[in-house]
Amino acid sequence: MYHRGDLQERHGTDNLLIMDTENQSQLTFHQGFVEGSPIFVGYFPTAMAFGLVCRDLGLRIWEAVLFSVTNFAGSGQFLAASLIRSGSILLEIFISVLLINLRYSFMGAELSRKLEKGIGGPARLLLAHGTTDEVFSVAVLHRSPISKPYLAGLELTAYLGWVSGTAVGFLAGMVLPSALQLAVGVTLYAMFSSLLAQEFRQKGKDVLIIALISASLNSLLILVLKLGVGYSFVISMLSASFLGAWFIKEEEYRA
Amino acid sequence: MNTNLPFIIPILVSALATFLVRMLPYYVTFLDRLPPFLSRSLRLLPIAALGPLIFPGVIMDFHPRWYAGLVAVMVSSIIAYRRNGMIIPILTSILVTYLLLL
Repeated sequence: MYHRGDLQERHGTDNLLIMDTENQSQLTFHQGFVEGSPIFVGYFPTAMAFGLVCRDLGLRIWEAVLFSVTNFAGSGQFLAASLIRSGSILLEIFISVLLINLRYSFMGAELSRKLEKGIGGPARLLLAHGTTDEVFSVAVLHRSPISKPYLAGLELTAYLGWVSGTAVGFLAGMVLPSALQLAVGVTLYAMFSSLLAQEFRQKGKDVLIIALISASLNSLLILVLKLGVGYSFVISMLSASFLGAWFIKEEEYRA
Repeated sequence: MNTNLPFIIPILVSALATFLVRMLPYYVTFLDRLPPFLSRSLRLLPIAALGPLIFPGVIMDFHPRWYAGLVAVMVSSIIAYRRNGMIIPILTSILVTYLLLL
């Protein structure tokens, strides 16, 4: 993380020069909305896939929408959905979702440092709820301090894409020919394997090795040792992460 | 899931877990001072999660035609590797699965 600190210091001195003019007037709600629009476009179809998965799972539309409203977390929601499907207990769901979303803590740590000071209770919690991979990667491109209206605009746009996509996907599932319904079950896996392929392209073979280790371990635990899906997931994910951190040296990998 | 438990319970449990990790950094600062090994491991979690999210589920879900899902995710991986975006790989894999299940 220390390289981030350096970066911030540099920006800090820049801010002294331009603080009153450019930087402050730029980061408006409208700017957040503009920069959030590509995220909206990206989230919408993915959320549609989630809506389809929910329908496949037997949820009603308000439950699917509530899922996206309260969670607002791509892989976390897909994980929770597949755990619900496999009959996991609540503790398994809680631990698994907590771990897969733990990266938001690191993103939030950096965001909260760059955010303008003096944002109180409820507003702060709402802004925290809007932390996602994409929102983070767009917001941190700005010099601190990042203004509250800007971040709110950015997050709200992304949020609307995610929630409306879920509803539309669910409705699309209702008009889907019944012959296609079974095939839709593959959506979840197609989504994860696509993510994996894109991570592999961006970060190299280490990604594949780690995923291979966790996939093999998970298959072993479930198929041979008959362990619950949630616990198997947690054990496989943690083991592969530790192994990965051990064989990948510090500078080679930046998540 | 226990079938008589309404869906809203696991949905809210999942929401709670997500909300906790999101609000944590706004109230504590120790996240910046974790030992490097631990911090590196935690950053690898999302990658390590992808393996078990796909296997063995993709094979078990389409039993007895286990190959249907497997071929579909291979197709979607190849498409996603070559171009950005999720919707084309996902739609293609649904189509492939559909054809294999006919």
